[in-house]
Amino acid sequence: MSDSLREILDIGVFWEFRNILLRGLLVNFLVFFGAAAVALGVGLGAALLRVSRFRVLRAVGTVHVEIFRNAPDYVMIVWVHFVLPLLIGTLLHTRFELNPFASGVLALGLVYSGYFAETFRTGIEAVPSGHLEAGRSLGMGETLLMWRIVLPQVVRRMLPESINIFISLFKATTIVSLIAVPDLMYNVSMITQQEMRPLPLYTGAALVYFAIVLVAGSALRAVAERWRAKIT
Amino acid sequence: MIRVVDVHKRFGTLDVLKGVSFDVHRGNVLSMIGASGSGKSTLLRCINYLETPTSGDIFIDGESIGYRGDGSRPRRPRPLAEINRIRRDLGIVFQQFNLWPHMTVLGNVVEAPIRVRGMSRKEAEAIAEACLRRVRLLEKAHEYPARLSGGQQQRVAIARALAMQPKVMLFDEATSSLDPELTDEVLAVMRDLANDGTTMIVVTHEMAFARDVSDRVMFLHNGLVEEDGPAAQIFGAPKSERLRQFISKHVHA
Amino acid sequence: MNNWDRLVWNQREALLAGLQVTIEVCLISFAAAIVGGMVLCLLRMYVKPVRPIAIVLIEFFRATPILVQLLWVNYVWPELFGWPNTFFAAACTALAVQSSGYLAETFRAGIEAIPKGQREAAYSVGMSPALTFRRIVLPQVLLSSAPSIINQFTVIVKSSTLVSVITVQDLMFQSQKIVNIAYEPIEILTATAAMYIGFIFIVSMAGKLLADRLRRSYGIGSRLPT
Repeated sequence: MSDSLREILDIGVFWEFRNILLRGLLVNFLVFFGAAAVALGVGLGAALLRVSRFRVLRAVGTVHVEIFRNAPDYVMIVWVHFVLPLLIGTLLHTRFELNPFASGVLALGLVYSGYFAETFRTGIEAVPSGHLEAGRSLGMGETLLMWRIVLPQVVRRMLPESINIFISLFKATTIVSLIAVPDLMYNVSMITQQEMRPLPLYTGAALVYFAIVLVAGSALRAVAERWRAKIT
Repeated sequence: MIRVVDVHKRFGTLDVLKGVSFDVHRGNVLSMIGASGSGKSTLLRCINYLETPTSGDIFIDGESIGYRGDGSRPRRPRPLAEINRIRRDLGIVFQQFNLWPHMTVLGNVVEAPIRVRGMSRKEAEAIAEACLRRVRLLEKAHEYPARLSGGQQQRVAIARALAMQPKVMLFDEATSSLDPELTDEVLAVMRDLANDGTTMIVVTHEMAFARDVSDRVMFLHNGLVEEDGPAAQIFGAPKSERLRQFISKHVHA
Repeated sequence: MNNWDRLVWNQREALLAGLQVTIEVCLISFAAAIVGGMVLCLLRMYVKPVRPIAIVLIEFFRATPILVQLLWVNYVWPELFGWPNTFFAAACTALAVQSSGYLAETFRAGIEAIPKGQREAAYSVGMSPALTFRRIVLPQVLLSSAPSIINQFTVIVKSSTLVSVITVQDLMFQSQKIVNIAYEPIEILTATAAMYIGFIFIVSMAGKLLADRLRRSYGIGSRLPT
């Protein structure tokens, strides 16, 4: 036990491989930003479908949300990486491939678009109908209303919930290591196999993610709180 | 029966009660009136020890609620378990009803008799049914509180307090959070209790109730008893200017 | 349709065996997470001396990615504590640990949301603090958190897909094994994804219905009607 404790506190291994580990962490952030962009874009699209006047579009939005929100991250990553290229290839009658990085970004982006769509939709529906009537009475069209009156309010309202989704997404980026995207977790596993010292390496990785999520999470929440306080 | 001796209560730097003393005799109804902030609700909560008085003492049938009566000096505060035991003799009805939402009406009423008095379920249910009949809600015994109107919820709360067969019933603005059309059914139940000889201390804004039902009325102002006397005298011939103003504002409003 | 028969239907025994392992892992860690979450919550709220420790544990459990947690428990705990000694136990522990952190916060929110008057009403009829907690506070907390607890179960099911990484033979493990043998991933992976999505969809629907029901019959959930 005391040997193990000493080994846990020995960050030497972690320091020794700092370059490759940091590069791994950078990959986590790249996956995160890529997937976040996909999730926000697709999520907004799905939310607009869900509040559409046309029943068919609403149904499409609902199906999108229910599929992706209920899909496990890992299952979606595996499916997008191994199945989607084959389906696209069959459709286009060519060979089609996705590199692991693109698969990871696309899969996580799709999964989290489901969460964002729901948050967007709740936000859109929470805008008082009086605001819309006021806009219409001034002669604003529906598109203009959406972009100028509804969405700016939605963005502010959904901020706290969005921060939670972003944090979940960041944590989920570790899963791309399982399709050999060289992120921090992937590199940790590789070094572990080589050095046979899982104790300090996995503990260090856990602490790194813990610190990032904790610090980034509290900072974002503080900023969001200040921003919200300014407008309400 | 109940003796309140020089009760003070301070919240931080705020003196809410500045030395209140009075007695209530068995079968009497005492109403406490006064502006909000006069300390009447705090006084009621002190009597029940939901708030611990900063100083002073409260006796029920000669027994102190807060301190052990073993003659030791300085007097030793009672542990919570003992306070709990004595407290059962004081039923309290809150402004906010405070029914337990996860239990049926009957469940609310039998809970304390079974768990605290250790009665059998059968015994407790017999008592509970009698209490629910007194508040005219026996037919709602198996509903959950969320399905009842505010007035009905408050009557259940009265039944819940009655089921412990307390020596005294305390009412803390029992009708203040009810719509006007629902206050009457609650006041009617309280009138019945008074007519049956229940000892009651009532904090209220209902001047008609205070005038018609109480044996005695106390007017509190700024944490002190400003005036105290039989209902007829308080409402008919108020001595202090403040009480006169208070009454003219509330009786004709 | 032939491929579906050959790759999915004919493999049903392996898939069902995997499904059984998935269900076992999920149920065991779910039960452990509820108990652990309540313990963490009570330590945090009522046991002053260990409060900082409880807070750090809760935050650590919540903030660490599940894959990292899983590998950490699997590789580090046995050396630190001499346990867990099987992959299955490590999988259950990791899933339980993460969810217990979330549930501890759910329970805390539930306890804090109970109006003070609920306790006062109990004290005024002579109930002790312990009895009040058991009979008045706890049932309301469990009822009001029931939808969140069920939601946490869907999180556990989603996370459980990762236990195949430490060779626990769950549904995901079996379906990837079939892929590795047949080299034809389309049908089997699609079927597996559909199974997970369908199952989680049903569970979360049940959670929504329950929340609705609680609000209607007890007034518990959004706001108490008193």
